[in-house]
Amino acid sequence: MSLEKVVFGFFVLLAATLNFGFFLGDISDPALHNVYELFAAVVVSLIATVLKFGDRTQIGAVHLATSLVADLQLIAAALMWAYATQISSAGLDAEAMAGVVSLSGGALLANLVSVALLVIETTTFHRR
Amino acid sequence: MTARRRHFSARYAERSPTIFLILRRMRAPLILLITNFAISVLGLTLIPPRLSFFDAFYFMSYTATTIGYGELPQPFTGAQRLWVMATIYLTVVGWAYTIGSLLALLQDRTFRQALALRRFSRTVNRLREPFLLLVGFGQTGQILGRALDSLGRRMVVLDLSADRVDALDIDSYHADVPGLVGDGADPRTLDLAGLEHPQCEGVLALTDNDEVNLVVAMTAALIRPDVPVVARTVSPATEHRMRAFGSPTVVNPFDRFGDHVRLALHAPASYQLMSWLAGGPGAELPDPGRPPGAGRWVVCGYGRFGRKFVEDLRADGLEVTIIDVTEQEDEPGVIVGDASDPAVLAKARPAEAVGFVAGTDNDTTNLSLIAAARRLNPGLFIAARQNHRSNAPLFAALNVDWVLVAAEVVAREIYAQLSTPLLWRFLQEMPACGNDWATDLLDRLEAHCGSRLGSVWKMTLDDREAPALGPWLRRDHARLGDLVRSPQDRDRQVAAVPLLLLRGDEATLGPADDVTVEPGDQLLFVGHPMARRALIDTMINRATSEYVLNDRTVPAGWLWQRLSRRT
Repeated sequence: MSLEKVVFGFFVLLAATLNFGFFLGDISDPALHNVYELFAAVVVSLIATVLKFGDRTQIGAVHLATSLVADLQLIAAALMWAYATQISSAGLDAEAMAGVVSLSGGALLANLVSVALLVIETTTFHRR
Repeated sequence: MTARRRHFSARYAERSPTIFLILRRMRAPLILLITNFAISVLGLTLIPPRLSFFDAFYFMSYTATTIGYGELPQPFTGAQRLWVMATIYLTVVGWAYTIGSLLALLQDRTFRQALALRRFSRTVNRLREPFLLLVGFGQTGQILGRALDSLGRRMVVLDLSADRVDALDIDSYHADVPGLVGDGADPRTLDLAGLEHPQCEGVLALTDNDEVNLVVAMTAALIRPDVPVVARTVSPATEHRMRAFGSPTVVNPFDRFGDHVRLALHAPASYQLMSWLAGGPGAELPDPGRPPGAGRWVVCGYGRFGRKFVEDLRADGLEVTIIDVTEQEDEPGVIVGDASDPAVLAKARPAEAVGFVAGTDNDTTNLSLIAAARRLNPGLFIAARQNHRSNAPLFAALNVDWVLVAAEVVAREIYAQLSTPLLWRFLQEMPACGNDWATDLLDRLEAHCGSRLGSVWKMTLDDREAPALGPWLRRDHARLGDLVRSPQDRDRQVAAVPLLLLRGDEATLGPADDVTVEPGDQLLFVGHPMARRALIDTMINRATSEYVLNDRTVPAGWLWQRLSRRT
């Protein structure tokens, strides 16, 4: 068992679970989506991306790509949340919240692909 | 072309781009930075009065990067200030570490090497002209590189020494010469330098290490059997091993010098002609020199050079006395001792000899040996081995009759082969024609071109290169002498002499004026560049060719040609 693999798996999985937690619930209800969870999802996703840097294998390249997609979606969601709370006159209404949550939903899909890759990688190497 | 490239990338793993190299090294600092930021922002949003994530991130962004606008949006409470104090140290350290790592990475030697390697392989891959791959850029490589560059040939250079490769940037070459510091004996490095590039037109193995040259010749023969290989060696055993792979051209400077010596002993005029033509454009007609008399020779230094020389002299039936510092098993008669010791030199009785050879691998020793031998016998014919190019003025000042500079022999030889293959063929077959023939040709050359060698060029008498000659060539008796008449005055000849006529695979050396030419013949000329232009004019322009060949004046313009045909 290598510590590197543990940390790597931990962050990939945590990024997906946090994302899922934020996404869960009625899409337009601000009360059901905790902004701290979004913050945690962004941070963990960024760390997961950095952990994937520099892996030269084909599967490593796809890993990095999915992570970049998730980052992009989550940052877009965070920007949208910032726009709604700080700039928009309407505030964080149902419409804005639906936008934020649907963006994070896209990130969730990318994170699920990441987890799927992780599982595939694990089953390929389990005999070693 | 693409098939070849794909083949190549399958053989060696693709190198990851530079950006991934940076990212891999930056993993730890980046993670630290993200964590620091996350903790700081989270703290600010939790400590009352709770800031929003947006405000917290905004505040941390300008604080962590040490810009510091102050406490926004409202002045902070004591609890907030306490937290901010901690986060400032945390994030500033994070930034300093990240930027420091990045700068250290850019200074890193391996990283810079990786960058240089990528740049080199990119330049080589982008070459769209035929190029030669030079492995080894010592004395020989530099002489040859300069000569080839002035011919407009492209090169890629591979050498072990970083100084020589760096010098490529400083020296003035017409074309950009990509250089790589690397070991030619490593097939991977050769590959990077473009061995499998479709435009690679030849590989030259010129290092001073026979083993490396052998590996290069071998690799090239196995991976690119279609590409000509020229390799330098000083040992007959290596030469034999090189010839086992494909058909490389092997140049052994001592061997070649030996051939020259024998030629000079038998046919001084042939030797004179050969050294003139091999000297390249602008070479002065070499002094005929005095021929060595018949008699005994004294050879100092019985290394590779000395052995070869003795062998050549003995093959000519000359008696040889050898001096060397060590006893030789295969040579019982060797005088053992330091030749610079007067007592040892006297044992070889130079006063009664006709020739003296200073053949040690030390230039200072050679020079002092020559001086000592001259003092004992001023009439000696002297041959010397010059090891370093920088000592050339010293050998010239001593008036040495024959000087061997291994680097120059090799460079000249390879240059003759690569620049004009027909000239190479001429030089190879010329010695067989005898001394009188060479004297004749030398007289003709001097009469037409003067004592300074003009350029050497090849002309093909086909419809593409000589469209105006078509009807004349197809006649029965197209005399070569008619072709070389001058377009200004057809009673004179242009300032050029045909050296060789190649028909199919049959070569005629120094063809006379009454030789007939046929379509498809190739001619090798030597002469003034003006003569080349005149000949091209004759070959292309119908009006000129009519005058030169048939002494008829035809109008040059289309209209007048039409009109004159009517009448």
